Amino acid sequence: MKIIKDKIASLSFVALLMALTAAMFYTPTASAHGEKSQAAFMRMRTIHWYDLNWSKDEVAVNETVTISGKFHVFGGWPESVDEPDVSFLNIGIPGPVFIRAGSWIGGQLVPRSVALSLGETYDFKVLLKARRPGDWHVHTMMNVQGGGPIIGPGKWVTITGSMSQFVNPIVTLTGKTLDLETYNIGNIYFWHAIWYAVGVAWMWYWAKGPIFIPRQLAVASGKANTLISSGDKKVGIAFLVGTIVANAVLMGTTNEAYPVTTPLQAGTMRGIIPLELPVPSVSVVVDDATYRVPGRAMQMSLTITNNGDSSVRLGEFMTASVRFLEPDVLEDETGYPDDLLAEEGLTVSDNSPLAPGETRSVSVTASDAAWEVYRLADLIYDPDSRFAGLLFFYDEAGNRQMVMVDAPLIPSFI
Amino acid sequence: MSASQSAVRSRAEAVAVSRTFDWMILFVLFTVVLGGYHIHFMLTGGDWDFWSDWKDRRLWVTVVPIVAITFPAAVQACLWWRYRLPIGATLCVLALLLGEWINRYMNFWGWTYFPINICFPSQLIPGAIILDVVLMLSGSMTLTAVAGGLGWGLIFYPSNWPVIAPLHQPVEYNGMMFTLADLSGYHYVRTGTPEYIRMVEKGTLRTFGKDVAPVSAFFSGFVSVIIYFLWHFFGKWFAGTGFIADDAS
Ligand SMILES: [Cu+2]
Repeated sequence: MKIIKDKIASLSFVALLMALTAAMFYTPTASAHGEKSQAAFMRMRTIHWYDLNWSKDEVAVNETVTISGKFHVFGGWPESVDEPDVSFLNIGIPGPVFIRAGSWIGGQLVPRSVALSLGETYDFKVLLKARRPGDWHVHTMMNVQGGGPIIGPGKWVTITGSMSQFVNPIVTLTGKTLDLETYNIGNIYFWHAIWYAVGVAWMWYWAKGPIFIPRQLAVASGKANTLISSGDKKVGIAFLVGTIVANAVLMGTTNEAYPVTTPLQAGTMRGIIPLELPVPSVSVVVDDATYRVPGRAMQMSLTITNNGDSSVRLGEFMTASVRFLEPDVLEDETGYPDDLLAEEGLTVSDNSPLAPGETRSVSVTASDAAWEVYRLADLIYDPDSRFAGLLFFYDEAGNRQMVMVDAPLIPSFI
Repeated sequence: MSASQSAVRSRAEAVAVSRTFDWMILFVLFTVVLGGYHIHFMLTGGDWDFWSDWKDRRLWVTVVPIVAITFPAAVQACLWWRYRLPIGATLCVLALLLGEWINRYMNFWGWTYFPINICFPSQLIPGAIILDVVLMLSGSMTLTAVAGGLGWGLIFYPSNWPVIAPLHQPVEYNGMMFTLADLSGYHYVRTGTPEYIRMVEKGTLRTFGKDVAPVSAFFSGFVSVIIYFLWHFFGKWFAGTGFIADDAS
């Protein structure tokens, strides 16, 4: 079963190549990596990416860009997606236009798959080194085994210069310095050419004489034994012995040339340390939530209680990487991608500071074209019509608290 | 000219036509095998053959020879029993490698810019020579399956080693050990191929410690023997001409 799953995964690479071919011809500045077509609940109820920062939006070849931020692994993970026990922090780019020079979760290098825990928040960082010039949409991405890719927000990054300038210097543990971009390629071509020539020589030996019709006639008339001469056998033995001896010798000389080799490294990494976030002192109950299809707006009735010792205001609602900001409280200064940012998207019926100990029922509206553009409204057609997201509250000193909400969503068509 | 008359008028002309026919058939056979074998191999060997960081000592060594012996066995059955031509395996493998190299160069490198040192194909030609020569010398399907199939499995790792050994040199990178092949796989981002799909160094051969490659190669050889029989029969059946009413053979 596992093998079949993996086969499907590898088949999808073939499909990817075909899709890329198609994309070459049809979409000159293809933007999407399928982020909009992914089921809305997958984006709302799995991994919530936030506090994202792309260190630059224009780099020259060989320069680096860092994407950093946090992701919250949603506690109400949907049943139809496998839990993130085997997850891989990936990056959504169209092929190796950058190389991934490093990626970290909770300060741990994660070149391999990791186990994540539901309900936890992790910080992460991906270091990319520019390789191929162009304008590229760079997404954060988490692959979850049995769940598929979970794509985070994407931002356009421009690479300038020329790919021929790209270098990838590496020092091995035996002290060799090499450029991984080109290392060993000559050796690969050389041995493939040599053996191809041997194969062609064997074919040529047989194809130079008459082949199909005369030989078929001879076989049909019972003279098959005359078709292989003793000369043929000698040539065959020479090829056979030559091949075996050559490989035995090559094995030896290769081991002499590379005395230190190690097996490929693999295996899931466990024990990734999540962030220790303080327990929020604000509690939120979702009384009801409706999505108004004609108005492209989601309305929530919330009962908010402030159990802390400083008054708070609601500043942001974030779901599926779309950020709805309440402009009186919060302004984005991180250069978050425009299409995912509703700078005035959040309206709160009463957003005056909520004093410590106070409880208030408010109506909150998150409206923006992004509901349609990012096909989040399709949520109402999902089998489990729930929404989920993060609410960010700010106190007077500007301290932030994050509260998860997760509730059924009722569509309204009029 | 009636239908019973020959289309050629002299022996020289007959020879010339026969030669033209040879090259046409050879060309068609080569291209058809290229297409069929290449697709079969991509679907069954797939990532193990695509990526240098999948070319491990256990599964790559085991899987690739087993899934690759199929077409050589079948084409040998046709070319040997009908024409006594011991080139079936080599023809298949040359066709496969040509197709793979075109794919790797044009698609993997030309379109998606993966360096060739991460996406080169596996070497199969030495094994094909063994299969063809054993069949020629023995004229026996059984012996070719047993000796040839085993040889096909056993020579696979050594014949690839000169190309992959340099990529198995260890590197320390940000506090972890990688082989160069692992590092290529990490650096050159495959958005559609997450790391957990990679099936390497998995299995139950742990007791053999670091000498696992020869054990995997033997195992692969044994299974290749069985697959050879199976596909040799497929080849014979596929090459049948029983559907032509007055076929003598
Ligand atoms: Cu995109």
